[in-house]
Amino acid sequence: MTQAPAATQENPLLEGLRKRRQAEPCAMTIFGASGDLTQRKLFPALYALAFRNLLPPNFGVLGVARTPMSDDEFREKMRQAVVDHGRDEFRQEVWDELAGGIRYVATDFADEGGEQHVVDCLNTLDKERATAGNRVYYLAVPPSAIETILVAMGKHRATGGWTRVIVEKPFGHDLESARHLNEVVRIYFEENEIFRIDHYLGKETVQNMLVLRFANGIFEPIWNRQFVDHVQITVAESLGIEGRAAFYEQAGAVRDIVQNHLLQLVALTAMEPPIDFTPDSVRNEKVKVLKAMHTPGPKHVVRGQYGPGYIEGEEVPGYREEEGVAPDSTTETYVAAKLFVDNWRWADTPFYIRTGKRLPKRETTIAIQFKSAPHPPFEIDSEEGLRPNVLLVHIQPDEGVSLAVGAKVPGQGLTIRTVHMDFLYGGTFRTGLPEAYERLILDCMLGDTTLFTRADEVEEQWALVDAMVAPWKRDHPNFPNYAAGTWGPAAADELLRRDGRSWRRH
Amino acid sequence: MAENVTIRDVERELGDLRAASTRPGEHPKLRTSVMTLMAWVPPKWVDAATETLAGLAERHPSRTILLFPLPDDPRDALDAEVDLRCFLRGGEEKEICSEVISIRLCGRRSSAPATVVEPLLVADLPVFLRWRGQCPFGAPELEELVEIADRLVVDSSEWPDAESAYGRLADLLDRIVVSDIAWARTEQWRRGVAALWPAVADASSVRVAGPPVEALLLGRWLSVRLGHQVELKHEPAGEIELVEVDGRPAEPTRFERESSSDLLSEQLEIFSRDRAYEEVVRSFSSAPT
Repeated sequence: MTQAPAATQENPLLEGLRKRRQAEPCAMTIFGASGDLTQRKLFPALYALAFRNLLPPNFGVLGVARTPMSDDEFREKMRQAVVDHGRDEFRQEVWDELAGGIRYVATDFADEGGEQHVVDCLNTLDKERATAGNRVYYLAVPPSAIETILVAMGKHRATGGWTRVIVEKPFGHDLESARHLNEVVRIYFEENEIFRIDHYLGKETVQNMLVLRFANGIFEPIWNRQFVDHVQITVAESLGIEGRAAFYEQAGAVRDIVQNHLLQLVALTAMEPPIDFTPDSVRNEKVKVLKAMHTPGPKHVVRGQYGPGYIEGEEVPGYREEEGVAPDSTTETYVAAKLFVDNWRWADTPFYIRTGKRLPKRETTIAIQFKSAPHPPFEIDSEEGLRPNVLLVHIQPDEGVSLAVGAKVPGQGLTIRTVHMDFLYGGTFRTGLPEAYERLILDCMLGDTTLFTRADEVEEQWALVDAMVAPWKRDHPNFPNYAAGTWGPAAADELLRRDGRSWRRH
Repeated sequence: MAENVTIRDVERELGDLRAASTRPGEHPKLRTSVMTLMAWVPPKWVDAATETLAGLAERHPSRTILLFPLPDDPRDALDAEVDLRCFLRGGEEKEICSEVISIRLCGRRSSAPATVVEPLLVADLPVFLRWRGQCPFGAPELEELVEIADRLVVDSSEWPDAESAYGRLADLLDRIVVSDIAWARTEQWRRGVAALWPAVADASSVRVAGPPVEALLLGRWLSVRLGHQVELKHEPAGEIELVEVDGRPAEPTRFERESSSDLLSEQLEIFSRDRAYEEVVRSFSSAPT
């Protein structure tokens, strides 16, 4: 038997070596590099990847923003950002390695020649860092600047290597604008080159939702209308708008949270099992859920705006008193809705969703509430402490899963209480869960779009949101309608009370 | 450590500790486990084992059963101590607790450890057995514990004569999955050598500056993977400093010293067999060196 020449053989030395998620050489351009996101999330994420040797050896970062700064000034600012916001200890040698590839360009894309300046810097970076023309563009910019940058970078694609574009949410501000952006994208890029980011999908617990459902035989048979009474998804924030009035006045809670995070959580909860874990298989199933959701009528949507109140004992102003907010603003800071997924699995099973600012605590949870036992054979008195079984998926801050079950209170009598069995994600596995941005940036460098939103997905989301907000153009809400530090307007409680249900106690 | 106890005493003490650890009005402490970790720790390894296990609970919450064999003790008895190690994760309200059970196996009890640990294993979870020092191949204590464990973790650099011991280890491979921490220390260098492919396809020699066992494993690995004899040129050093294949230096993919806890921790995350390691180990029993 003749042996194949070594060059054409598979490398036998790789046998037994664990696969590593390490990307090919590339240069990452961050548009909006002087902004808050870059400092709080992106650079700490890049440092965390460098800390774990997950960045390619040939790597560079080009920061682009309007603020005039030298390379050194930008490096120092990012070093401080890593010190302030990084989750790992600061190691000078790790930073030095990363900082060696950091450059900065102060430019405005509205100016003639601005884009050429960026392209020239990238070409230089390619040569200096041997990044082979592979490029990641991260658009951490206001929505109004996205199209300009997409067109500019699309026109100046590198002749060699691959190109991937990460676009921060919101992708458009309604269905029409999202469609328009998608059309612009299609002129210059393939769909698999566009990474519409929703950082919730990078959270470990959100991904664990898929594992919980599809790697455990016990849940899927009862994950349907036969056994589930209803689903409650809460994205609660205790913070106000934190100086983001300009953005928030335009977006409101529905565009800031519902269109992306909340609908993603609904889709992951309701989706059918994908045939495999490839990007399109997973995203096809999510899109099917969005298509199956029927438009909630006005009675099924509640909006609110916070007034003055107290958070953790501290007096806080109402939304209309926040700096930069119009004194008669009708922007919603709270939304609750009752949604239905019209398919075989979920018909007639309500998905109650709610999100709001200045709620009593920061918490994101998915609660699957099961139907009560059909005929508990106990005396009525003994069941007073018994509530329906709830499978609770904690997304933040304590990532984990708990199951509420009925148990006998020890003693002579027969008294039943609901107790929680807790699985605390970080407590069971290694400490230090990766930040969502670490996972997502690395996925992009590896070309894996599974945890990013596809064009048709984002359009389905906007179609639903547009329908939700359409009646709002015609009425004049009586805002504020909930005090900061409370769980939202009374109408949100009424939304469930009409169905004989109530929001979970937190 | 309480002397002359029964396993029932140990279980009762565990229950009492759990109950006592939570005061009224507090969040109950969470007991969480991903495995049972048994460690066989002869007297000379006690300090090293203690150091390695410190901090491991936080990364791998488990019921840890430390077995201290004292075959020369005149008593035929068990001494035991039970400890609940709790830690608070940053930003979270609930404490996570792992249980550590230390058992001295006195006299004849050291050669029949399985019946001591079996009642203490956490049901339905994998059982890892970390064996400190030389494995006494064929001895009842090893044979018994291998029967109840899913994975045996050794560090062949702790063995006085690793080369001949690999031949005996090969006999165990059909019965249990084995992890070798000495082998894990070579991983980054193997990765570096693999990056030299295909230039090293016909390599005739490998030069390793490093500890003898790691050098032995690297040399044999290259021979097995390439399918022909590769001469090992070994230069002693405290840790692997250099690997050259036919004069071509390999670049380790990570050049960071890992603690013994880190290395053990990594092994506790692996559940599959390492075929490349098994072939290397088997080569010591099947071919002349």
